Amino acid sequence: MLIQLTGAPEVKAFRQAVTAGSGQNLLACLQCGKCTGGCPVAWAVERGPRQTIAMILLGLKDEVLASELPWYCVGCTICASRCPVQIDFSRVAAALVEIAVVEGRAPAVGDIHRWEEVFLASVRHNGRVREVRAIIENNLRARRPWRDAFMGLAMFARGIFSPEDMLAGPAQGQPTVARIFENVRRLQMESEKSEVDNGK
Amino acid sequence: MFAGSRWKVRSRKWTMGNEKMKVNYYPGCSLKSTGRAYDESTRAVCAALDVELAELPGWVCCGSSAAYKTDRLLSLALSAQNLNQAVEAGFDELVTPCPYCFRRLKSADDTIKNDTALRGQVESALGAHYAGGVTVQNMLGLLRYEVGLEAIRAHVTHPLTGLKVVAYYGCALTRPPALTGYDHPENPQSLDEILRALGADVLDWNYKTECCGAGLSVPRTPVVVKLVGRILEQARLAGAEAIVLACQLCQANLDMRQQATNRSGAEHLPILFFTQLMGLAFGLPAEALGLRHHMVDPRPLLRAIPA
Repeated sequence: MLIQLTGAPEVKAFRQAVTAGSGQNLLACLQCGKCTGGCPVAWAVERGPRQTIAMILLGLKDEVLASELPWYCVGCTICASRCPVQIDFSRVAAALVEIAVVEGRAPAVGDIHRWEEVFLASVRHNGRVREVRAIIENNLRARRPWRDAFMGLAMFARGIFSPEDMLAGPAQGQPTVARIFENVRRLQMESEKSEVDNGK
Repeated sequence: MFAGSRWKVRSRKWTMGNEKMKVNYYPGCSLKSTGRAYDESTRAVCAALDVELAELPGWVCCGSSAAYKTDRLLSLALSAQNLNQAVEAGFDELVTPCPYCFRRLKSADDTIKNDTALRGQVESALGAHYAGGVTVQNMLGLLRYEVGLEAIRAHVTHPLTGLKVVAYYGCALTRPPALTGYDHPENPQSLDEILRALGADVLDWNYKTECCGAGLSVPRTPVVVKLVGRILEQARLAGAEAIVLACQLCQANLDMRQQATNRSGAEHLPILFFTQLMGLAFGLPAEALGLRHHMVDPRPLLRAIPA
């Protein structure tokens, strides 16, 4: 692990938070750009993994947390398998999303974040994700109720999903899953509180 | 190099005296819903190969990319819950057809084992001790390396002679190599080998592990349409009549979004699970393989294979 001896405390604090949250040693980054070259979503956003890492190292916290890439990242990990210094950018993206969520910032790409919330709510309430119902709920919350409606009908006609998928109740393991969600929430509140107590 | 050897040495049970292989099965949420063709064909093929699938009692969602991205502890805890569940049921391994579940379950075990502080947090989230000791595998690897090509070849009664296909692995099976330890990250061979054993004409191409856009299909459909369009174009350029894969989310994206990519009126490519083709080559009835659950109907192409 490389360590940084110089730099303003706020620059180091953000970099350390991302490094700790992702487990990735960003100081080792060579800025070679193989990650961005292989990234399947870099073309759709304003900047790819390479620039994002440079901005984290420069401590540009607000700019980085307002950028779209962390939400777009689908975790294909082509970056991780090509990186000459073994940085897995999908872990960095996840750490950035988590920092934004914990700090209560508005997600940079609201509709992707909404889908993740709807997905997890479905897991929480059913123990397993109920895909079709989650997609319908997502489209309703996005105020685009007819998005993919014809696709849905065509899939239904081919038996790709069935009426039971629409009606299925919670799975056997649902109470356990709900308890895990509660425990995780409690642990996170405790750690936030201890950070405040420590004057962070 | 990419830990393929670890898989190969495990090819034991089946060849050793032909007793029935028992496998502990984690289907994952999608296989109970839009990926049902994968579940049905996997069960049919395993039954034909004398591999008994015991479904993990009380399994729950692994949290998928939504938990992985927004809440690391939740993601680890959900996977750990399933692995604990497996230990309770007396399992020492868990096989899942879904590449994403495979990666989550496997990497959660690695992470928890190697990070004591995190292990403590996960255990508080579970309200239980994390037992560990469960090996996580994927269905493709099980059939390729544990059942083995020889056994597969021995079951082929209707070889897929002349069927031109490309093998598509997607992202999560082979990457990141340090986590999944399965096959090669960008030029894997296990699926090609199985398809060749079935008698198909397996073509080489460059898009084996290119990303299909995964979960962006719901909130950002145009991104997925573009990525899917490139994969289909490359498959056509290679001369393929169908794309064969091992991931229900890749299947859904390539199958469902194909219409939207097709502005030039090119012929649609059927998107098949490898287990469906195994079943056909084994002479199993088409109804047992979920072949009607496709947006691009594969049956006209498959009927054209000389019996």
